[in-house]
Amino acid sequence: MSALGHYLEEAGIATVAIALIRPQAEHTRPPRALWVPFELGRPLGPPSDAAFQRRVILAALGMLAARGGPVLIEDFPDDDPREAPDPAWWPPAHRHFAGGLEGAALADAMEAELRELAPAYAWSCAERERSTMGLSTLPPAACGQYLAVWLRGEPPASPIADMSPALLLRFVIDDLKAFALEAGITHGTPSSKQLGDWLWNETALGVAFQALRRDCLAGDDERLKTVAAFFVPALRVPAV
Amino acid sequence: MRLEKLPPEMAKRLSELECPDFKTTPWVEGPPLPERRVAIVSSAGLVVRGDRVFRGRDPDYRAIPGSTQANDLLCSHISINFDRNGFQEDWNVVLPLDRLNELAAEGTIGSVAATHYSFMGATDPVQMVDGAREVAGKLKADHVDAVLLTSV
Repeated sequence: MSALGHYLEEAGIATVAIALIRPQAEHTRPPRALWVPFELGRPLGPPSDAAFQRRVILAALGMLAARGGPVLIEDFPDDDPREAPDPAWWPPAHRHFAGGLEGAALADAMEAELRELAPAYAWSCAERERSTMGLSTLPPAACGQYLAVWLRGEPPASPIADMSPALLLRFVIDDLKAFALEAGITHGTPSSKQLGDWLWNETALGVAFQALRRDCLAGDDERLKTVAAFFVPALRVPAV
Repeated sequence: MRLEKLPPEMAKRLSELECPDFKTTPWVEGPPLPERRVAIVSSAGLVVRGDRVFRGRDPDYRAIPGSTQANDLLCSHISINFDRNGFQEDWNVVLPLDRLNELAAEGTIGSVAATHYSFMGATDPVQMVDGAREVAGKLKADHVDAVLLTSV
């Protein structure tokens, strides 16, 4: 991102970057960068906190008036209050004891869980008037069906004309993560760790994603090995 | 990100990630903030629903019209090692369009660009040069004189 600051500024447009990784900004030396202490993925900090986000933007845009450049790096002083767990939050579905399940049994548990999560997902969509599902272009139930066929051991043909089965599998997994996590934000102010702990430790979906990653990496199909690297975040990959 | 919160090997990898070594230090000044026209350029792999999603380390960019509604913005960044929950709950966490519009309405900034842009942040920045120059041309045509760069 700091590199884009160089390119745009060279073209004559003033820039200020919100930087999450300070050493990278220090190395790239952009014209102006505001380092923020928030977790990766949250350059503006807490969701649903307009006042906090406004302070971040004003701190960044305020650097446009500063003299003393080139290369200004400043630090935003406050941490994201939403990193703290919400003790009043609870998961949107009963725990599905899918650990140890494989194949068709895991597919059945996963699909049952999706049906259980559907009302919370629908509520979330209505409340926020949006969803971030859509990379696969398949609706939630079809995403579940596509994943279930893979779990049952019969890799399906892709129903999307310009997506290979492997690419569609990656996007379906992205979409199902969004489906579950959006279902998880129907109440309270959960931290990302709370939501992640639930998804990866307590759901059949999490078990399914781990199983597909393991099986794809162990197979001979290089395309599946490539996409399997994008199924499970590094912090959630089991230690070997 | 406070890197000390990450496992040491991940913190080391992020802090030592290869970055371009720029020889120049460009610096552009401009009018006071209330006279600036501001655009957002994000490296989050954002795409308007129906547009081409980023499928890998694509070097090009996607346009995000200022009229885009929150339900029409997707994140197709290839990395899965950053939080998506914030964006799922509130798109302003990544693309603070509502906040910019509020600042423009109250006069803190002059105006908001007609179009914003997104790149795929996992791409080698050197490969983004052509796309960045193209975006610069479009921003200038829109009279933008300040860009807020947001990464994930």
